[in-house]
Amino acid sequence: MTSVVEFDGVSKWYGNVIGLNKLTVRIPAGITGLLGPNGAGKSTLLQLATGQLRPSQGTVCVLGHRAWNNPALMRHIGLCPEQDAFYEWMTGQDFIRTCAELTGMGRREATAAAERALAVVGMGEHVRRSIRGYSKGMRQRTKLAQALVHEPRVLFLDEPFTGTDPVARRDLLEVIRGLGETGRSVVVSSHVLHEVESLTPNVILLHRGRLVAEGQVREIRDLIDRHPHRIILVSEDYRALAAKLVRWEDVDGVTMLRRDKAVLVETHRPDAFYARLPALSLEDGTALREVYSADDNLEAVFNYLVNE
Amino acid sequence: MKTPTVVAADAALLPRSPNLRALAALLVLTLRQQIHGRRLLVLSLLFALPGVLAAVVSLGSRFVPPAESLEFALLLNLVPHALVPLAALLYAAGIIQDDVEEQTLTYLLLRPLPRQLLYLVKLLATLVVTSLLTAVSTAATLAVITLVASAPATSGLVERALKTAGLLLLAQVGYGGLFGLLGLLTRRSLVVGIVYIVLLEGLLASLDTVARRLTVMYYFRVLVLRWLDPASGKEWSIDLATAPEAWTCVLTLLGVGLLLATAAAFFFARSEFHMKTPAGS
Repeated sequence: MTSVVEFDGVSKWYGNVIGLNKLTVRIPAGITGLLGPNGAGKSTLLQLATGQLRPSQGTVCVLGHRAWNNPALMRHIGLCPEQDAFYEWMTGQDFIRTCAELTGMGRREATAAAERALAVVGMGEHVRRSIRGYSKGMRQRTKLAQALVHEPRVLFLDEPFTGTDPVARRDLLEVIRGLGETGRSVVVSSHVLHEVESLTPNVILLHRGRLVAEGQVREIRDLIDRHPHRIILVSEDYRALAAKLVRWEDVDGVTMLRRDKAVLVETHRPDAFYARLPALSLEDGTALREVYSADDNLEAVFNYLVNE
Repeated sequence: MKTPTVVAADAALLPRSPNLRALAALLVLTLRQQIHGRRLLVLSLLFALPGVLAAVVSLGSRFVPPAESLEFALLLNLVPHALVPLAALLYAAGIIQDDVEEQTLTYLLLRPLPRQLLYLVKLLATLVVTSLLTAVSTAATLAVITLVASAPATSGLVERALKTAGLLLLAQVGYGGLFGLLGLLTRRSLVVGIVYIVLLEGLLASLDTVARRLTVMYYFRVLVLRWLDPASGKEWSIDLATAPEAWTCVLTLLGVGLLLATAAAFFFARSEFHMKTPAGS
């Protein structure tokens, strides 16, 4: 597998605040999700990868070239920044055409490129309106269009779904999926895991500027074995169930979920635990209505990994 | 987990010479930015002040001053002392600061524009706007003075307007280079710039010491004395016998402006501009 972005021992400090901490990671071609809670260092990583910031330590390369202060590289990368900033007095079409012209295209070529990019993001007839009147979804699409207009090989999207309604979110997901299908490498940052999960199985997890995990979602889930599995058991008499479970040696912790009439069990030996459940359900007064793993959701995977 | 192999560096990515069309687009964008700001409106009103003052002074009093006195007071003192440096400060100090505050700098840094040239083109756009303001104001003020003054000047209006505007443009180059650099060095560029204008360009330039050769105003005044020779020029206490030659003054103003602009461009190219995200990461 080829990598398009490489971080080698990269740290970034803002005075005394650390943005990234000795990060070494290689981002492969294709769509990659960059996950982490707010303040994890996702935007710092993207700003370093797009040459906006200089690493305090280590090296950042994109497509095999140093990212910092490398104008030639900018022809091949695009960034949809998180900040909601524009030249508000411009129309969407004018803004995208200007961005195209700033990459060196002539007027006619830039107009055609802007029309293509705006069509890809589905801006429709709104492109001739002033940006200051755009909805959040339209602003996100416009930002995405400026990142696309020069047809870059690598796209960095910083929280592209922030503030969008469900319809806009679905549409943007489709657009990003489409971009991946055209052979572009896309790095999408998000703190909402199911969004990224629906785009790609390939993820990088950051927390407090450090790499927590990277790889396929399934591979990351294997890492959970180092952590207790969480299993939820639903029962009418959940209190009696909790009292029994707390005595089991393969149970590390028991939490009662009153609202759900359920018990949350943490165990390092899930196989042994599951093997004992049929017998348990046959015991008087502990009829189990439902048993499911709390780890099925990627959100839970993430919580496990960052709450070490 | 597989370790990805590194993609080979692509020779097509090697740096190319800057694209002139991209630089032209940046120039147009910056001009449009400046035209859309409220700043232009404020400065247009300020630059209309000399013409308005000429009209008010001439029409509002029984003694109508001669054209030469009005020209000296308004075009050769008020405009270069206050309006030209103020316009340069407001525009040049904001060359990059404005884009940082409005968070639009990202859109420029993401383009294949060498950072030094990015700065220099934005400075050029700034000089175009401030020079146009100055030229229009000079012409309008001279026209008003010619209409209302008691003793119109003998030499041609167009020639004097061109010379005065040219000299003010030279001062703009010096101030533009200086305040552009100042805007990169400090966020309090407005305060520092006003203090500089008052203390150095106002006070120091008027004192008959060698130190005034460090000011833009000194070279501007020497040029005025050599090329326009106003009768009231004695007030500046400049001995032309010991003052630099005209072309030395021109080269000094241009050279200092260029030197400071180049220094600012290199400083900008090595500076980072962290755009704060809503989440703060």
